[in-house]
Amino acid sequence: MIDVHQHLWPDSLREVLNKRAAPPRIRRDGVLLLDGELPAPVDPADHDPVRRARLDGAERILVALSHPLGLEALPADEAHEALAAWHDGAFALGDPFGVWGTVALTDAAPADVDAILDRGAVGLSLPAGALAGPEGYDRLGPVLERLAAREAPLFVHPGAAAVPPGPRPAWWSALTDYVAQMQVAWFAFLEWGRPAHPALRVVFAMCAGGAPLQLERLAARGGPAAAAHDTGIFYDTSSYGVRTLDALIRVVGVDQLVYGSDRPVAEPPPTGMLGPAAHHVISTTNVLRLLQATPAEAGIR
Amino acid sequence: MILPSLDRDLEPAELRRLVAEYARREDLWRHLVHHDPEARTYEQIERNEHVGVWLLCWMKDHDTGFHDHDLSAGAVAVVGGQIREDRLRVGAPPTTRVVDSGGVFTFAASDIHRVLHAGTEPSVTIHAYSPPLWRMGAYEIGAGGQLHRHSVSYAEELRPLEEVA
Repeated sequence: MIDVHQHLWPDSLREVLNKRAAPPRIRRDGVLLLDGELPAPVDPADHDPVRRARLDGAERILVALSHPLGLEALPADEAHEALAAWHDGAFALGDPFGVWGTVALTDAAPADVDAILDRGAVGLSLPAGALAGPEGYDRLGPVLERLAAREAPLFVHPGAAAVPPGPRPAWWSALTDYVAQMQVAWFAFLEWGRPAHPALRVVFAMCAGGAPLQLERLAARGGPAAAAHDTGIFYDTSSYGVRTLDALIRVVGVDQLVYGSDRPVAEPPPTGMLGPAAHHVISTTNVLRLLQATPAEAGIR
Repeated sequence: MILPSLDRDLEPAELRRLVAEYARREDLWRHLVHHDPEARTYEQIERNEHVGVWLLCWMKDHDTGFHDHDLSAGAVAVVGGQIREDRLRVGAPPTTRVVDSGGVFTFAASDIHRVLHAGTEPSVTIHAYSPPLWRMGAYEIGAGGQLHRHSVSYAEELRPLEEVA
C-alpha cells in the first residue's frame, strides 16, 4: 500500500516559518498565520516522522509541500529559501517517505525539475492556481515539458486560499475554496494541459474536487468531455469516502483512483467498503502505474 | 480507437457488432494477450462514457462464478480457444453452451451467468460493457440452496486479487 498524499513539515521548514515576520509564518505561540485563512495551531507531534510512519500501515508515504502555505509563490529569494528548507528536510526523512518536489513559481525553469528529480523526487507538486488557465500553462510549459520528458508525474494540490475576512468555521476553505481550485485546475487540464502535454501523467488531489462528476454538464455545454477518459489522469481519495469514490468510479473507472490520506490535515475514511480488490487496485496497482514504477522501485513488497 | 461516439448506451445487438469489429482488429489488442495459470488476466482496451472494452485471457479451471452486471449489458467475442457460459435457472440445472474462437454472445443487464475456460488451449476473449461496468452482483448458493447476492465493485471481477471461487 502506497499513500500518495501526506504533508509533513520537517524541522527545517518549521524553522523558516517560525522566523518569518509576515505570513505565511508560525507565531511564537505556535499558531500558523496565512493571509487567506483563519489562524490555526500547529502541533509539532503531527509532523513527527516516526509516529507518522506507523499510523496506517502504508509501506510508502509520499509527502508534498503544503501548498496552501503559498511558499512557492513568494518573491524569488524568499521562495528559494523556504523551498530549500522543505526539500532538505523532506529528502532527509528516508524510508518509508518519498517526496513530491516543487519549484518557485516566479522563476521556475526546467533545470529545477531536473534538480528535484535527480535528488530522488517521485514527481512535481504544484498548487492548483498555477495551472488554472492558459496563462499558467504558458508560463509553466517548459517545466511540464521537462517533467514529461523525464517520465515523472505531476501532483496538483490546492494552493493558498482567499477566504474573506470575518468569522468562518475551520473547515470552510477545504469545502469551498479548495474544491473550486481543484475543479478549475481539472477543467484547465482537459482544455489546455492535455493538448500541450499528451504524455504527462497527472494526479489531482481530493478527487479534483469532484470535477469529473460534472462530466455530463461539461458535455452539454460543449466542453472537452471525451478528454476525461484519459488513463494518464489520476485522482487521489483524500477525505472522500465510499459514496463519493463509488460515484467517481462510475464516471472514470476504478483504474484512475489512487489512495491519498492527506494526513495530518485529515483522518482517512475507510475505503474497505469498496471491496478488497478495489482497495488493492487503488492503493497499490494504480499508484505503481502513476509512478511508472515496479514494486521494488516504489519501495514496497 | 473504434468506439462509436454516441450520446447513449449501446444495445446488445450493437455490442455484438462492436466486439466482432474488435475481434477483427488484432492490432488493437494482440500486444495485451498474456496468460497466467493462477488467474484470468484483464486488460482494458478502451473506455468512453458509454462503453468499456476489455481483453481477458483464460486458462484451465478459470471460472468467474455466477454474477450479474447490475446496469450494464454486454457482449463477448471469443478470439482464441474456447469458453463456456452457464445461465442460472431456478429449480433446474444451469443452461450451458461452449463458444469457440470466432463466436460471439451477448447478455442483458438482468442476466445472471458464469463464464469458464473450456477446451485444452488457453483462451482469449474480448468483452464490451455498456454502460461501462460499475457495480456487480456476485452470487453464492447456500448449503440449503438459498441464493445470496453480494453487491461488489466491478474491480472484484476485472481487477481481482485472486481467482473467484
